[in-house]
Amino acid sequence: MARDWQPDFERLVEEHQSMVFSLAWRMTSDRGLAEEIAQDVFVELDRHLSKLESPEHALHWLRRVAMNRSADALRRRRVRGVDLWVEIEENHGAPVEERNSPLGARLEQLLATLPEAQRAALVLRYQEDMMPEEIAATLDTPLATVKSHLQRGLKLLRAKATNHLKEYIRGA
Amino acid sequence: MDGFERELKQALERRPAPPSLKRRLMEKRASLATQRRHSRVVWWERIAASIVLCGAIGGAVEWHHVEEVRRGEAARDQVLTALRITNHALNEVNLRLTSRSRTEKE
Repeated sequence: MARDWQPDFERLVEEHQSMVFSLAWRMTSDRGLAEEIAQDVFVELDRHLSKLESPEHALHWLRRVAMNRSADALRRRRVRGVDLWVEIEENHGAPVEERNSPLGARLEQLLATLPEAQRAALVLRYQEDMMPEEIAATLDTPLATVKSHLQRGLKLLRAKATNHLKEYIRGA
Repeated sequence: MDGFERELKQALERRPAPPSLKRRLMEKRASLATQRRHSRVVWWERIAASIVLCGAIGGAVEWHHVEEVRRGEAARDQVLTALRITNHALNEVNLRLTSRSRTEKE
């Protein structure tokens, strides 16, 4: 079957760079690392350009590779012996964009403290507005596992946010 | 979707990529393409050098074989010449012996 869609690398970068960068940043909580991951993802995209069949395929491919590269980076960091949780706690001081409300900013920081699998599911669900079936396909994980990660992640995040709000009110 | 989820969705809006990301990416892409082109040229050079080397070795082997055959033929010619000379000398001796024995009988 003839393929009528011709991928334009520069256009794909233009369209999806913020998506890839945001996924990597939210997964790693490290801006520099997220930029590196985004670069690697697009370099790999360049090599696979001829295999992409449609804009949807490109989007799915980018999300999948961005999540895989982020997971690899986190694994490498663990292997290197860096205590991820300490690092993430330290990153709580990292600047959060002004456009977020104080609760929104805190939610984003609390998200970084969730276990990796739950964080991945929540980021894809709420950043990318994906359905659990799409998340399962992107992460190559059974649907039931994704649903469980979403449920548990949301519950944990809600609990952490509630505690934070109590502390905030007590402190005020 | 409840209020908390809405707040989460809002908090997790996509962040704009750094403005320099695309520029750096295009530079890296160009540099990788140059590297790939260069490595392709290097490979062709290696292949060409290998072909020349194989040709030279093949030529040398062939030349050596031809030279061996030529030497063999020259040696065979020398042996035949020597045999011819020996044959001629033996014939001479035979003739002299025959004529001497005839003279002695008479």
